[in-house]
Amino acid sequence: MSADNQEKSHEKMDIDSNNPAQDEEVAVEEEEEDDQDVEKIKILPGASEDGTAASFQIIEEDHTLGNALKSMIMKNPEVEFCGYSIPHPSEPKLHLRIQTYGNITAVEALHKGLDDLASLCTVVEEKFSQSVASNNYKTVIS
Amino acid sequence: MQSDNSGPIVKIRDVQPDCVNFVLSECDLALANSVRRSIMAEVPTLAIDIVEIEENSTVLADEFISHRLGLIPLQSDDVDSLLYNRDCSCGDYCELCSVVLTLHAKCTSEGIQTVYARDLLVEPNHSNLKIGQPILNDDANKGSVICKIKKHQELKVKCIAKKGISKEHAKWSPVAAVGFEYDPWNKLKHTDYWYEEDADKEWPKSDYCAYEEPPNPDEKFDYTAKPNNFYFDVETVGTINPNEVILRGIRELRNKVAGVIYSLDEIVARNANEGNAENIGGAGFGTVYGGATQYGGTAYGGTAYGGGTQYGGTAYGTQYGGTAYGNNSAGNDDYNPTTGWD
Repeated sequence: MSADNQEKSHEKMDIDSNNPAQDEEVAVEEEEEDDQDVEKIKILPGASEDGTAASFQIIEEDHTLGNALKSMIMKNPEVEFCGYSIPHPSEPKLHLRIQTYGNITAVEALHKGLDDLASLCTVVEEKFSQSVASNNYKTVIS
Repeated sequence: MQSDNSGPIVKIRDVQPDCVNFVLSECDLALANSVRRSIMAEVPTLAIDIVEIEENSTVLADEFISHRLGLIPLQSDDVDSLLYNRDCSCGDYCELCSVVLTLHAKCTSEGIQTVYARDLLVEPNHSNLKIGQPILNDDANKGSVICKIKKHQELKVKCIAKKGISKEHAKWSPVAAVGFEYDPWNKLKHTDYWYEEDADKEWPKSDYCAYEEPPNPDEKFDYTAKPNNFYFDVETVGTINPNEVILRGIRELRNKVAGVIYSLDEIVARNANEGNAENIGGAGFGTVYGGATQYGGTAYGGTAYGGGTQYGGTAYGTQYGGTAYGNNSAGNDDYNPTTGWD
């Protein structure tokens, strides 16, 4: 790409960003988000005062996330109890209850569980890729 | 490098053009099952979703043919370059969110003519991508049978293939089956075998028995034992190569987690900003997770949990902390799995 072309593309970008029509588009998008007004996760009533016990509702998740997340949170030695349920089979809602021994809040425990699960996924993915790359398996090439 | 007896281990046993057989070890049943569920129901593929029928004088009804077309596996290696139709700004469908295939078959001779998946023609908008071509894996390279037509019968259709996941409809599944097995000797008694006289004699042994020690009849039942080796046998329908299906399945699972983390951070930050008295956890809540930059790169798994101090000196917090989230450098040596959870 020549310098001239780059200059032009910059110019074009500037024009675009000053375009009132585009700003309007962004505003519309924001409005749509407000209209939906659905949180992926919320804290349900019934949390303890100090926050060491709480229930969460996660929407559009099922056993795929729920069971793995529950078991991951249970591994945390600070967590006294963790359980999940799907209250109704035709509602895409996952309820998760966390109670800790009091040194961390339920939100912290949840966050840690999520982080650990994400990291574990990354590790399994890497291990799988390594195993594929190692070529140490039987293959049939058609 | 890693020692072999800590952290999850993946051992691939066999790879074929449409199959992969591997063992996942040193992890929970819950995680293994989530990986299985994710592979089966969350990996996006391409499938025919709308069929515009111009002419159908075959013996099969329009909706019958539409259903058959929907089930035809289409090449989905590059499906990530396609948007979901619901997220696309187009009104109906466009080349950003769909692939168009056409089919025109007419029988002019005596006898019966068969219409195969190979007769579907992909419109050339995505010709440089591996996307939309019908999978022809049979010996004759004809693909699935769509219908059979007699003299003067005609089938002319336009098919719009869209990206989707098999949680919505099984036609989007990348796999025909996922074999999932653990504890082949049934030491954990998760299975109760029906028998007439002797279960051991009447039931065939699992192929995976060779990989595990047979049970010692003198030993007491270990009620604390947990399954450790998970034998996967993933058989694809040919739309995505099997190794890629596994990787995408794991990524989809991780994306789910990331989605919840994102939303959780949002509500935590909002609560902190509002100075809400009913804040769970009270003051200083907002700073615990290190603010908005956390997923911007390096902060993930770093200081957000105060490193090793959080759980009393053990490396619990940093166990998988070496890998920055979403940044999988192959064969990184930072990952330190030497401290188990137990």
